[in-house]
Amino acid sequence: MTVFTPIARPSSKRTAPREGRVRHPFLSYALRRVGTSLLLVIGVTLVTFILTNLVPGDPVAAALGQRAAEDPAIVANFRTQYGLDQPLVVQYFTYLANLLHGNLGMSTTTHNEVTADLTTALPATLEIAIGAIVLSIIIGVVLGTVAAYRRGKASDHVLRVVSLAGLSVPTFWLALVLYYVFYFKLHIAPGSGRLSSDFNTPPTVTGLYTIDALLAGQLDTFLDALSHLFLPVLVLTLYTVGLLTRFVRTAVLEILDQDYVRAARAKGLPAGTVVWSYVLRGASIPVLTVVGLAFGSLLSGTVLVEAIFSWPGIGSYAYRAASHLDLPGIMGVGLLIGVMYLLVNLAVDLLYGVLDPRVRLA
Amino acid sequence: MVFRSTKKIRVAAGAAAVALALLVAGCSSGKTTNTNPTSKTLTINKAFDLKTADPGRMYEPTGEMVDKALYETLLTFKGGDVSKVVPGLATLETSADSKKFTLTLKGTHTFSDGTVMSADDVVFSLQRVIGLKGNPSFLLAGVTVTKKDAKTVVLTTDTATPALPSILANPALGILNSKVVKANGGTIDASDKAEKYLNTHSAGSGPYVLNSLDLSSKVVLTTNLKYDGYKPVYSRVVIQNVEGATQKINVQGGSADLALDLSGTQAQGLGSSVKVTSDPSANVIFLLVNQNPSISKITSNPVFLKAVKESIDYSDIVSIAGTGTSQATGVIPSMFLGALKSADALKMDAAAAKADLAKSGYKGETVKLSFPSDLTLNGIEFPTIAQRIQSQLKTTGITIDLAPAPVATELDAYRNGTEAIGLWYWGPDYPDPSDYLVFTPGNVVGLRSGWAAGANPAISKLADAAAVGGSNSERQTQFEDLLKALNQSGPFIPLIQPGNNIAAKSSITGVVYNAVWTIDIASLGSK
Repeated sequence: MTVFTPIARPSSKRTAPREGRVRHPFLSYALRRVGTSLLLVIGVTLVTFILTNLVPGDPVAAALGQRAAEDPAIVANFRTQYGLDQPLVVQYFTYLANLLHGNLGMSTTTHNEVTADLTTALPATLEIAIGAIVLSIIIGVVLGTVAAYRRGKASDHVLRVVSLAGLSVPTFWLALVLYYVFYFKLHIAPGSGRLSSDFNTPPTVTGLYTIDALLAGQLDTFLDALSHLFLPVLVLTLYTVGLLTRFVRTAVLEILDQDYVRAARAKGLPAGTVVWSYVLRGASIPVLTVVGLAFGSLLSGTVLVEAIFSWPGIGSYAYRAASHLDLPGIMGVGLLIGVMYLLVNLAVDLLYGVLDPRVRLA
Repeated sequence: MVFRSTKKIRVAAGAAAVALALLVAGCSSGKTTNTNPTSKTLTINKAFDLKTADPGRMYEPTGEMVDKALYETLLTFKGGDVSKVVPGLATLETSADSKKFTLTLKGTHTFSDGTVMSADDVVFSLQRVIGLKGNPSFLLAGVTVTKKDAKTVVLTTDTATPALPSILANPALGILNSKVVKANGGTIDASDKAEKYLNTHSAGSGPYVLNSLDLSSKVVLTTNLKYDGYKPVYSRVVIQNVEGATQKINVQGGSADLALDLSGTQAQGLGSSVKVTSDPSANVIFLLVNQNPSISKITSNPVFLKAVKESIDYSDIVSIAGTGTSQATGVIPSMFLGALKSADALKMDAAAAKADLAKSGYKGETVKLSFPSDLTLNGIEFPTIAQRIQSQLKTTGITIDLAPAPVATELDAYRNGTEAIGLWYWGPDYPDPSDYLVFTPGNVVGLRSGWAAGANPAISKLADAAAVGGSNSERQTQFEDLLKALNQSGPFIPLIQPGNNIAAKSSITGVVYNAVWTIDIASLGSK
């Protein structure tokens, strides 16, 4: 284990707090990461605001009908209502001030508070993204490890081709084909959407229909919601599994050549223990990085899958906001995705610290 | 986590089994039909453009369909015939000069809470639309609403407004329960706060009431027990937000009863269990050729404009658009009063086009064709049409540079009149030919094509005559004359009316396309 030795300082007054700080290297590391993340959030708001306003279009034209946009009174009312009559600098600082109170403004498309819209859309995306990432990790780790252990054999080649295919097939095409086959031809999967039309939405607690249905004691709603997750999760999993399988295989191959793995084998440890406690633990850092990126991508990049399966998540909301030049909506989605990436990266960084103590001191 | 002890595994499995058993024992059903075995659910797939269910703010096709089910209007249309207004909540008496409209309530209608509808509700509802300064406010621009007595309301205008009866049939002018709306923040000015309430409840007298509304996923309607009319066959209606490609699979697979956004291609080969109703929609896709020399010297040349009109193979454009599509005979769609017959439509003449192009002085310069790259109308993608036009004009010798841009950004250029050639569409604001006077010099769309007031006095004179109104036959003649002149010398080239394809399970009856509200949900039945 690495031992940290504080550097001696001439003044004892200055040395004391420093010693206190280094007693908890993980806490210190975590605080540094959180502080950096907060600065990045402010950066995300600025970049999103500038980019959104650089788009050569008028939100009034996009939001109002043809005739309404010709009426100066209606246009003036719209600009005032959404604060578009203020200079850009004022708009930005007003946005920041509102942000401190958790207010992301009003959407020009839905006429709702953006926070409320995102609160509805995010659980829908989370429900398929969590399902997909969990399945992907399980399948990807197993397949990647098998491929590495059977390096150069037929099963390795097959797994590499399959994972490459998973990465290469366009997601929207795959979604349509699977929907056609599993729903229309085989009648295995239900229709599009989060619930069949015979079911009422369960009382909202988490926004995750499966959990909310269980909390409400509606087992049939739970099963219906679960069945609707099947295809979207499958499509997203197929892509992510391809990615993870390749990374796990590479990482495991590197670890297999390490001395401590050879030593474990030489000691006669069971194969399962060697794989689980030595190989996979050693390979976990690079794999964790890819899992973090893949999860961030699943949270923000499911637009096409959401469109095919009529899934009212963040991707659908982002597309709608962008196509209507809904500035508060675009800002809200940009900020949310930025924050989600930061949180995922933060979690990954903190897990690095847990898995590898050397990272805490870097 | 790895359990190393079998005892731990047993304990965990036992706990899980007990939890599951308790869960199942304590479960209720979330299924709606379980509670009422006689209830019938109708599932409609629609690609949402929904922004609100508040009639005073709503002006999108999905909203028109939803509000038609929730609210009643003073006047209405029967079935798909939008050329003739019929009484709705009220009967109409129009003054000879089309400036005074007296509406008398039938007096038999009640709101969903049992309150009897009165003239006060009518005045409040219409004044609210005007005062909100929202999307549909322009419908009643220049209209003064006054109550004459408990059952009578008078609408007056300063200028002749023969289109007003057709306008009053729009669900955006549905009549609200004024007491309920006021109690929930409703006013007749921009300070109104009732939208939130009207997106969670309805306050109308239509055949349905709003059960729930999620702008991104679905709208659920249930029957209004106080409705003064035939009880709808379907007691529960679920309108789901679904894209066209998925709609097709859903209606084939049976999870949707109706699919409303199939393109001409998607509407083919659906099988015997699905019936497709195809009609030309009321949308008209057209080219505008800018007449402002500062925008383009060549497009503002009348002989060049003529050559472009003669170069286009209209039947070819119709064929790529698919089932239900027809050539637009003029800027007014075929189902409206004043529309031209197919014999009067523009025609391709390749030889004349080449001769006129030579006369125009065109020297092979590139002309920009701007269009919205992400716009799909009735399943037709604008880039496909733009590419075909580019190819057709190339045959004549005109070089076109395609300039696609997202609709949100290209709208600015279109509305500012800076496009040399633009590919756009016009959807009717209300089903009356006077809505199309905007295509004349000095008016909204005329200006977008660089056609300032006075640019064509002959056409302006025809437009002025058509604006005054008269009997239906007089108006038919006036608008036909105007459209013929526009086809001959106007800067617009009407291309197609895209097909509106409604796919329904063969057991569904009463599927009729209406240009204003797409379908009347309450009139759907089953066999």
